[in-house]
Amino acid sequence: MINETFFWTIQVLIAIALLGSSIAAIRFKNLISAVIAMAVFSLALSVEFYVLQAPDVAIAEAGVGAGLTTAMYLLAIRNTTDEEVVE
Amino acid sequence: MTTTIIKTTTRLLAPLILVFGSYIILHGHLTPGGGFQGGAVFASGLILLIVANVRDKVQKLFEKTPLTQLESLGALGFLGIGLLGLMSYTFLKNAIANSGFLFGGTTPQGINPGYLNTGGTLSYLNIFVGTKVLAGLTSIVLIFFLILRRERDEW
Amino acid sequence: MRKALGLFAFLAFVLFLFAATISLRPFGEPPHAEMDSYFIEHAQEEASANNVVTSVVFDYRGFDTLGEATVLFTAVSGVLMALRHYGGKEK
Repeated sequence: MINETFFWTIQVLIAIALLGSSIAAIRFKNLISAVIAMAVFSLALSVEFYVLQAPDVAIAEAGVGAGLTTAMYLLAIRNTTDEEVVE
Repeated sequence: MTTTIIKTTTRLLAPLILVFGSYIILHGHLTPGGGFQGGAVFASGLILLIVANVRDKVQKLFEKTPLTQLESLGALGFLGIGLLGLMSYTFLKNAIANSGFLFGGTTPQGINPGYLNTGGTLSYLNIFVGTKVLAGLTSIVLIFFLILRRERDEW
Repeated sequence: MRKALGLFAFLAFVLFLFAATISLRPFGEPPHAEMDSYFIEHAQEEASANNVVTSVVFDYRGFDTLGEATVLFTAVSGVLMALRHYGGKEK
């Protein structure tokens, strides 16, 4: 069944993208890179919602997660400092 | 954050994002999405306009925009449409559907043919919630932008 | 003593997680519910919108959406009230 193989391939790819982007968001020292990694996480999550046939949630996740929170984090970082302070 | 590349991209991209947000709000009773999703997409377009411009221009652009009034209008409109339902049966009853008013056309059963003039109160609720969400999210990011400490843009 | 207690709590939590994972349903097959069938069959004639999700959000669960709108309104007015002094003469 070619369709089912395609579905599971997409699932595995999205899982790898989610894990990689979340680990990158934790490990990056530059805060702007970490915020961009979080935006990539939201985008992969919205693709996953779309594949699982929930387009409403996918639109909300793409708009709020990848657009709004990224802008708010970027503005907050610009107000303070863009390097992680290690004490 | 205001290089020539970003300015040109914003000038091309922002109208398309705004039109897409309006489409999602207006077609909330036919296609996936609705008030909240469309309002979030519309607010993303406005935030792109905010982030890609310098402070003076943003202040001039949004000085005359009644964002807080739009927010209150959305909340009161939702309550008003809900109270309109008391006219027929209960709170939030769909009183406008199949009545011939605007958005009150006869709803076809079965497979969705995509008639915009249907839906009754659901379309009005979508529009009010969309107005409310776009005004609220945009005003939050606008106030974040306006309290910037650094005056000149550095990146 | 505290370390042993923490280890015990951690092991118990992992055990619960394993038990929950084993008893999961197969992927992509949610349990059948009466309410889903009712919504799918009757939403178009009762709520008079072709999109069933919108019917559920704004008609069947209208009070829920009203509460969500109230939460958003409260959050926005709180943020604007707290940060108004720093933003110059904006709103």
